[in-house]
Amino acid sequence: MSSKHFRFPVFGQVDYFGQPQHSAASYTPSEEKQRTTDPIVTGSSVIAIKYNGGVVMGCDTLCSYGSLARFNNIQRVKQFGPKTIVGYSGEHSDFQSITQLLDDLVIDDQCIDDKSQLSTEEIWNYLARVLYNRRNKVDPLWNNLVVMGFDKKTDKSFLGKVDLYGTCFKDDYIATGYGQHIALPLLRKAYSPDMTLEQAQKLITDCLRVLFYRDARSSKRVQLSYANANGMEISAPIELETYNWDIGEAAVKSFDQV
Amino acid sequence: MMEPLRLTALPAKEVPMRQARFEPYVDNGGTVLAIAGSDYCVIAGDTRMSDGGYGIQTRQYTKIFQLTNKCVIATSGMQADTLALRKRLETVLSRYQKEHGKPMSTPAISQYLSNTLYQKRFFPYYTFNLVCGVDEDGVGCIWTYDAVGSHERVKMSSQGSGNQLVQPLLDNQVGKFNQRIVDGPRELSSEQAVSLAKDAITSAGERDIYTGDFADIVVINSTGVHWEKFNLKLD
Amino acid sequence: MTSVGSGYDLSVSTFSPDGKIFQIEYANKAVENSGTVVAIRAKDGVVIGVEKIIPSKMLESTSNRRIHSIDLHVGIGIAGFLTDARQLVLRARDEAKQYKQVYGQPIPIKVLSQRIASFCHAFTLYGSVRPFGCSITVVGIDSYGPQLFLIEPSGSCIGYFGTAMGKGKQAAKNELEKVKFADITCREAIKLVSKIIYSVHDEVKDKDFELELSWISTESNNVHQMVPAPLKDEAETLAKQALEEANM
Repeated sequence: MSSKHFRFPVFGQVDYFGQPQHSAASYTPSEEKQRTTDPIVTGSSVIAIKYNGGVVMGCDTLCSYGSLARFNNIQRVKQFGPKTIVGYSGEHSDFQSITQLLDDLVIDDQCIDDKSQLSTEEIWNYLARVLYNRRNKVDPLWNNLVVMGFDKKTDKSFLGKVDLYGTCFKDDYIATGYGQHIALPLLRKAYSPDMTLEQAQKLITDCLRVLFYRDARSSKRVQLSYANANGMEISAPIELETYNWDIGEAAVKSFDQV
Repeated sequence: MMEPLRLTALPAKEVPMRQARFEPYVDNGGTVLAIAGSDYCVIAGDTRMSDGGYGIQTRQYTKIFQLTNKCVIATSGMQADTLALRKRLETVLSRYQKEHGKPMSTPAISQYLSNTLYQKRFFPYYTFNLVCGVDEDGVGCIWTYDAVGSHERVKMSSQGSGNQLVQPLLDNQVGKFNQRIVDGPRELSSEQAVSLAKDAITSAGERDIYTGDFADIVVINSTGVHWEKFNLKLD
Repeated sequence: MTSVGSGYDLSVSTFSPDGKIFQIEYANKAVENSGTVVAIRAKDGVVIGVEKIIPSKMLESTSNRRIHSIDLHVGIGIAGFLTDARQLVLRARDEAKQYKQVYGQPIPIKVLSQRIASFCHAFTLYGSVRPFGCSITVVGIDSYGPQLFLIEPSGSCIGYFGTAMGKGKQAAKNELEKVKFADITCREAIKLVSKIIYSVHDEVKDKDFELELSWISTESNNVHQMVPAPLKDEAETLAKQALEEANM
């Protein structure tokens, strides 16, 4: 074996006579295809629970750029068709491309004009196939998606999750991101299937508050989404009531006066 | 003038190829096992789905999937691959039914699954399968696989995260290998097999963190496929 | 008919000595055999009405539709071969989708119409193909307001206030010329379109027909859709009454 087989010369095994190595400056990335290897602009947790008569989903409105709180007012939930809402954590741009896919799908469905519409479960399944397909290309869409909906005809609510591998499942309560570690145990403890809307709302808000306290990539500006017999609704951003941080503000002020 | 001293012997600084590659596989864990008799087949599988680490994604994901009324497939490993594999088998089976006017036999399914897995051996389905059921003669049968399609017909087998805990138990209690005293008839009755399957999956749940929550117990015999739910630890 | 073209009608790649492309003329003939299609561009939207001739009593009422949605804000009405038109509809949907992908907003009706027209036109250039045996009206609302375009087998694409195609084209045009397009609303246009379709229908030659009505207006939230049943029923009864009065 000649020395050029050694990519990382070890001390004492240096090739003194070989071709000059590429310097750091002339290093260019190979023509390898570009793909998402790390998410760049990311949303944190999404949490959602079924209650007696519908589903509630909650998430904050922050999209971070690494550790920088970059975009403070981004809606991380979107409605597709009349009975489905999808919330995401992970790469913002990937979700925007998913948005295009789903919007096209919904419009195609509407153009057929046969009075049938994609059910929430169908959209969930479609997303699972799309994400699985991309992971098969080792070019994933870097998202955890929470899909929820309510079908007025059958009076049934739906809650499901899809991740970047294409793993998908339905459950009564779902959390993504840090929520998986922090909110999910809380949900398991507090959850009961015959919760009222108010109880469910409170549970979600409490979880979001805990997440705000502990997840450094979260914010206290949150949005709740509802799916129930009254239809679908995505609330305007709400400021969570949290521990009073005024002391910090006061400190800055007094610093100013010095 | 003297040239500045250059340590030419030092290797040029290596630029590490920093490209955090996306790892396309995740192990969602779980245990499945099966015991075959002369006229039955018992299959058990837990319903926990882990996130690849210490987290549980859901407690309600069933690893056993009915293919025909004589055959089920029990799969542990990566759930997304499992679903893709199932969908593939499902479409092939329904086409077979339409073309041949009869469902595919369990032995035929077992060969087909092997081919399917082998075709994808350079980017395998990360799935560990048991094809279980009764064959054309009504005899209980199990095929056990690795991820790339190696397979073997056996009397009992287990797959998944609790495999190491369950397999020796089955070898001892069903295979009755290396026993000094073999008492009673060599083959378990269907009821005994169900009882053993429950004990085996519960035992796996004792030590394997990826096994738990609930278990599906499936019995296949001449009267069809019978499902039963069974509680495991929810820890 | 054989003497008409005298050899110049075999291919679209050959002009006749007096400057015609006969295959296109024949395609127009195919359109003229079709049920009448009338569209009106009103001040708050656009309405399409189609006289869908029913060749068999056993047909379901929703089959062989001659009005299609392309996107939320665009619709197409068809005269001529449905099968040919279906290609255009699919093409139009792709164009609308592609435009939205690239520019993030709904395709302007004019752009869409011109793109479909170019597609049609390509089929008048080569000896290996034949023109589309259909004319279509493209209707919609975009940032320029309500729009109505007519595309013909030749690949022409012209904007109108009112269009008529098919069998009753001439009679319908005579009616349309009386309309004050600057004042008419969609609700009025629906009634008028129905009346025209009923009046130009030839009961002797043609069998039953079904009236297909679609609209896009501020009242339909700027979404192209079939006219809701109550509105349509009202318009149809009025049209029938008007027809009876005229016959008396």
